[in-house]
Amino acid sequence: MPMIPTYINPNYFSIKIDGEVEKPVKISLDSLMRDFKPVEITSVLQCGGNSRSAFHPTPGGIQWGPGAMGCAKWKGVRLKDVLAKAGLKKNASWIKFHGLEKPVYTKTDGFVRALELSKLHDKIIIAYEMNGEALPYLNGYPVRLILPGFYSDSWVKMLSNITVTSVKPKLHFMDHAYRVPDNDCECETPDNLAPKTKPIEEMNVNSLIGYPTSGTKVKQGTELIVRGVAFDGGHGIAKVEISTDGGSSWQEAVLDDGSQGPYAYRSFRYTLKPARTGTLTIMARATNTKGETQPFAQDVKWNRGGYKYNGIDEVNVEVVS
Amino acid sequence: MKKVTMLALTATMLVTSLNAEEKKVEVQKGIKMPYMAFPMKPGKGMYSTKGKCNMCHSWGYVLNQGPQSKAFWRKKVIKMIDVFQAPIRNEDIDEVVEYLYANYGNGEEG
Repeated sequence: MPMIPTYINPNYFSIKIDGEVEKPVKISLDSLMRDFKPVEITSVLQCGGNSRSAFHPTPGGIQWGPGAMGCAKWKGVRLKDVLAKAGLKKNASWIKFHGLEKPVYTKTDGFVRALELSKLHDKIIIAYEMNGEALPYLNGYPVRLILPGFYSDSWVKMLSNITVTSVKPKLHFMDHAYRVPDNDCECETPDNLAPKTKPIEEMNVNSLIGYPTSGTKVKQGTELIVRGVAFDGGHGIAKVEISTDGGSSWQEAVLDDGSQGPYAYRSFRYTLKPARTGTLTIMARATNTKGETQPFAQDVKWNRGGYKYNGIDEVNVEVVS
Repeated sequence: MKKVTMLALTATMLVTSLNAEEKKVEVQKGIKMPYMAFPMKPGKGMYSTKGKCNMCHSWGYVLNQGPQSKAFWRKKVIKMIDVFQAPIRNEDIDEVVEYLYANYGNGEEG
């Protein structure tokens, strides 16, 4: 429900860092670009509710298909370096992030997110560039928090305030939103909701077939190159397999060289020759370096928020002679 | 002499074209939010519901919830009041819930 500013003057924009720090500071956009070491990272940005519409019964929230994701090259500075400018006090334990978006009513909680200090690492950056250009306005201009491997609810846009606290802050958008059941399967049923929940945080292993799309007509006996992307929370993709017999047998697809790093899309391709005419179902399944893999779509367990869907993707093509 | 003139001419042209470029690049004073129309299903309570929901968000947010039970819609409306401070009076809740359920319901009460 945000009021999003429609104009931000980059000459006057700054990030304020306060709370449990030695010296509260304001860092201008110019200083961010000049006084800190620039770093780049290619990372997937994915909504926690990506593919929510695949859950039944329908959970509330945007009824996404599989398109609530993207992958970009982000350039910015390490959050760690920026925090060091203010100097963390010994009792610092949580970092709160707030952007320039405001709720419609002043009484409503703002979109404030928090990260436990123990989860801070070198790949978390404050980005001022996306794919070599200033961040597009609705992607969080002029700076956005980048938490590679975490779902996008953590990627605060138009980041303007960082507040360090000694205790876990009470925040609506941490304590009540973007959460899954705190049990092994991260699952529950509508009649038996899990008593405890936890933040969605790290992305689970997932893959999508980009080509062909369902309904595509392909020629019998002619090479068909299946292409798509796989990714996870940063452990890295170990393999992607393809099945054309409903998941009974799997063949390994060819992965790209992985040079974009473990947080990026790992593209895959697999060449097949459809032998018979009629409907051909193609499935893709990714496995990460931890051995975690994707369940069949019908085996994905439900949760009330419709988060973290990662069922095996399938497309149905029409093979014609 | 000819060479010098040519150089001067080239330089002038360069300056002119730079000036032209500068004029074209005006400092952008903000963006216009993209607008998408989300039509509501006509029915009893539509205008009242529209006024209450659109104070904070587009109708798209409602459509995006998918068809839901009456209990779901009631819970959502109450969440808007309790969590997001929507100024909806208690006596108006039923009308909104009835409209939502009648037009965006899944046939289940609970």
